[in-house]
Amino acid sequence: MRFRSASFFFLLPVLALPAHPELDAALQRINARVAASPQAAALYLERGEIYLGAGDLLTAEANFQVAAELDPQLPRLDRARATLALSRRQPADAIRLLEGALRRNPADTEARILRARSQLASGHSAAAGEDFAAALALLEQPAPEIFLEYAACAANPIEAIRRLDAGCARLGAVPALLERALALEESAGLIDHAVSRLDRIIARVERPESWLKRRGDLLQRAGRPAEAGASYAAARTAIGRLPDWLQESPATTRLKHELVDSAPSLSLSP
Amino acid sequence: MKLRFNLLSLLLLLLAPGLLPAATTIVRGPYLQSATPTSMVVRWRTDLSERSVVSYGLAADKLTENARSAGVGTEHVVQLENLQPGTRYFYVVGNAPVPPPSTKAGAAAEDGPASAAMSSFTTPPPVGAAKPTRVWVLGDPGTKNDTQRAVRDVYQKFTGDRPTDLWLLLGDNAYPDGTDADYQKAIFELYPDFLRTSPVWPALGNHDAQSANSITQSGVYYDIFTLPTRGQAGGVPSGTEAYYSFDYANAHFICLDSQDSDRNPNGPMMQWLKADLAATSRDWIIAYFHHPTYTKGTHDSDRDADSAGRMNDMRAIFLPVLEAGGVDLVLTGHSHVYERSWLIDGHYGKSNTFNASAHVRQTGDGRAGGNGVYRKPRIRTEHAGEVSVVTGSAGHASTQPVPLNHPVFFLSLNEAGSSVIDINGLQLDFTFLNEKGEKRDWFSVIKE
Ligand SMILES: [Fe+2]
Repeated sequence: MRFRSASFFFLLPVLALPAHPELDAALQRINARVAASPQAAALYLERGEIYLGAGDLLTAEANFQVAAELDPQLPRLDRARATLALSRRQPADAIRLLEGALRRNPADTEARILRARSQLASGHSAAAGEDFAAALALLEQPAPEIFLEYAACAANPIEAIRRLDAGCARLGAVPALLERALALEESAGLIDHAVSRLDRIIARVERPESWLKRRGDLLQRAGRPAEAGASYAAARTAIGRLPDWLQESPATTRLKHELVDSAPSLSLSP
Repeated sequence: MKLRFNLLSLLLLLLAPGLLPAATTIVRGPYLQSATPTSMVVRWRTDLSERSVVSYGLAADKLTENARSAGVGTEHVVQLENLQPGTRYFYVVGNAPVPPPSTKAGAAAEDGPASAAMSSFTTPPPVGAAKPTRVWVLGDPGTKNDTQRAVRDVYQKFTGDRPTDLWLLLGDNAYPDGTDADYQKAIFELYPDFLRTSPVWPALGNHDAQSANSITQSGVYYDIFTLPTRGQAGGVPSGTEAYYSFDYANAHFICLDSQDSDRNPNGPMMQWLKADLAATSRDWIIAYFHHPTYTKGTHDSDRDADSAGRMNDMRAIFLPVLEAGGVDLVLTGHSHVYERSWLIDGHYGKSNTFNASAHVRQTGDGRAGGNGVYRKPRIRTEHAGEVSVVTGSAGHASTQPVPLNHPVFFLSLNEAGSSVIDINGLQLDFTFLNEKGEKRDWFSVIKE
């Protein structure tokens, strides 16, 4: 009986967690299944993942340990243990575990992303970038976060912007990607790039007024006051096209005041 | 040679199931997704692999158009495009176009594939203009039990011939684990008529997340639903099906992922939410997500450990942005009760920090026959008040006694039921129906 292992006794404080209805119900269900099939490694993995999700790392580890003793080749086990290691800020351990997971299944995108994050946490940006790129190539619909993380491990701003643009090409004009790209472009002095990015946004959105204001601010900061003024004026015009109930809203009124502060030739009233 | 040719033809026929006479059964759907005034996604599943064709038209006997998707399979996803806004379309799904009416006048349905049946939907009206709108709201429905069925039947009776323009699922749509089999029983076998006639817009709950992953956009929930990631249905592109927005007439709907997406104040979901709120010109803003900002039902929003802090995050991080953006209604589930606030604003702490004089914009029941509907300025004004509703009992109420004593709520009930929103121009009426068919709560918000 493998349960003689010390780790089995870690499984006992099952009910010691604070009462939590959803968690309790999930644990009750998994405990019943474990009781019915005490040799099923996958059930200990599943129970460990429930504890991991609840932040009980010690009990999660004990469950993973039993799963490993019952079936060291259990799919997903290495990935779960790597998640645990990363939660404990032990990225080197996570990388070692994920190497096994990815050897068994190179298409495991969750493992790939986890290893990328572990690499980044270990300071290995290039390796992290390779893993993010591989995950992005495999995923049909990746979340915007992955493009942000991929851009964050780029060697230089140009490459980071290229990665963010690749994200926009696949996902659309996602605010988080646009904002990061605009910030990078401005800090790298690529003002014309940033302006044309803003122009593309402005052409697309239903309410361009705040984007036009931002365009003006960017040009003002870049020492191009004439173009900035034109942008502020365009923002003022765009406000004039809004229905009254939006033109007179406090947020729009604030924007109008900001425009007049930036370009005193503009007026508050239409 | 000739024999060889015939064998080859036979083999080709066998390898091309779309060419064979229909012997398949539709085992799921059809169901409607990502509705816009000019497009509709129709999905269904068959037991055998075959082609995907939707024949549609303006009358049951005039299915003059055909839309297809490439390839053959058992999961069918077909987008109908260039539709007329606010228009009723009849449709049949199958593996081949329904023959045009000229071949057999007035019998389009019989002409169609053996497994097909006639359905219809009405496209959303042009965006912006007001149109009477009915929305059905179900939180935590997927128990597959008699309570879920009773809640459905009560709404069916309540709405009668009045079509449901759209319906919202607030998460935990299919218990216990949001698996494909769970969804089959809890959603597809429970609501077949609603699914084929009204677009459904879901949110991700913790039980759905047992079988889905928001970062990789994979798993059952993401496989089943087709949701707008590029702002196709109105709003700003989110880049993910985990959270999205859409317009219907003069209302803007925002779905957040309170379960599995980054909830940081500077994270992608928050950046998108801010941009989306700033971009909308609709009269009404309705937000929905799984984890309640306030509850004293089967969950307790005062307990940090409950739901790993998600309720805290939604209240302290997201609610201020929603309220500043002019949100009118915040709909959540997770707690298997019904809890409804006054017209409130600015309460982002634990319940012991609630201060009625500071946080209630308007007291009273919100009812025309009571002490007055809630009134908000027509001009979009930040922090003008919203009504928070926990309606997480479409599948079951709590079997245990629950406190139901959060001070932010005007009314708290431990009863199974679902909610109905009716929008008429600048008036929004809200109703909660319990599983016995009793109208247990109602209120109105008027903009003037
Ligand atoms: Fe839940």
